[in-house]
Amino acid sequence: MTSPIQPSTSPSLAAISRGTLFTSFLKMGLLGFGGVLPWARRVIVDERRWLDDREFAELIGLCQVLPGPNVVNLSVIIGSRSHGPLGSLIAVSGILFVPVGLMLVIATFYASVAHEPIARNAIAGASAAAAGLIIGTAVRLLLQTRPPVRGLLTGGAAFVAVGVLQWPLLWVIVVLIVLGVAAEWRASRAIEPKR
Amino acid sequence: MSTAEILVEIALRFATLSLVAIGGINAILPEIHRVVVDVEGWMSSAEFAELFALAQLSPGPNAMIVALVGWKLAGVAGALVATLAACGPSSIACYIAWQWADRLRQSRVRAIVQRALAPIAIGLILASGYTLALGADRSPGAVALTVVATAALAFTRINPFWILLAAGVAGVAGLA
Repeated sequence: MTSPIQPSTSPSLAAISRGTLFTSFLKMGLLGFGGVLPWARRVIVDERRWLDDREFAELIGLCQVLPGPNVVNLSVIIGSRSHGPLGSLIAVSGILFVPVGLMLVIATFYASVAHEPIARNAIAGASAAAAGLIIGTAVRLLLQTRPPVRGLLTGGAAFVAVGVLQWPLLWVIVVLIVLGVAAEWRASRAIEPKR
Repeated sequence: MSTAEILVEIALRFATLSLVAIGGINAILPEIHRVVVDVEGWMSSAEFAELFALAQLSPGPNAMIVALVGWKLAGVAGALVATLAACGPSSIACYIAWQWADRLRQSRVRAIVQRALAPIAIGLILASGYTLALGADRSPGAVALTVVATAALAFTRINPFWILLAAGVAGVAGLA
């Protein structure tokens, strides 16, 4: 069921301790090989149950179209909903901390490992799987949120325009948001009683 | 350029790009390349491509490419400055946008916008996964790994960590 009313601070999110906030986002950043989003969804929806798939998809919607990495925006918003500006800082630090640190370690040692065939083959396999994890996350969200036809059309258009045709991202997003909101507004007028 | 000057330059350049990075760091990647290779001449195109490949493989958001560029130019300090500059302004903008969205008393408007954005975001995520797959899948074996990983995440509760580990092993076994 869609709930149109969303409280400004979710009581369940405010109940998260700052320590838990940090370690949760740390976990997402730690394991996000080739992409953090699958882990973010898993930790937030499956493990911690802070949001359900629908709420997550809607939040990611906003995070995706705002500037910046979608998962960083996600940590800003969830952090802010649980502990205001401090919460945002905690969550962002968590999600970036390990990746940045690990990145520097890897970069330092990369030169010595790069030519090892075992390392290259393992990375080749893991990279293929990492791509699959991201596609799988999108599929999972799709199945859980069951968008109506208008959503399938805008989503499909986004995929084709950006993924296949590689049109400029910004224009595609702007046009699709306008069309999507217009379609959604028309649909809501059709089913809701006159106020 | 002295280290301090480079740090300031990195901070300014990346901070301005941060606000137009709609859809993530990938959106500003061509511009980062232009600035770092063409305008400032800080590194060659080949060096940039190598950093990009490394960033793609490593954990964390795509923002890691900026950490690597910063590191290459000015060590650890450069990595930190670059990451903060690339993620800072957009995070602040996101925070402000959320406060504004939160205050939207007309919950109907907000619900409409959120319902409209969700499938678009899913389409964009699908697009990024697809793009990654195109780059990573250089053999039928790799395609199979991508498909299996997709199915495992979409339909099961298997921890993705094991999927990646298994895929790494499969890669060593010659599958990818």
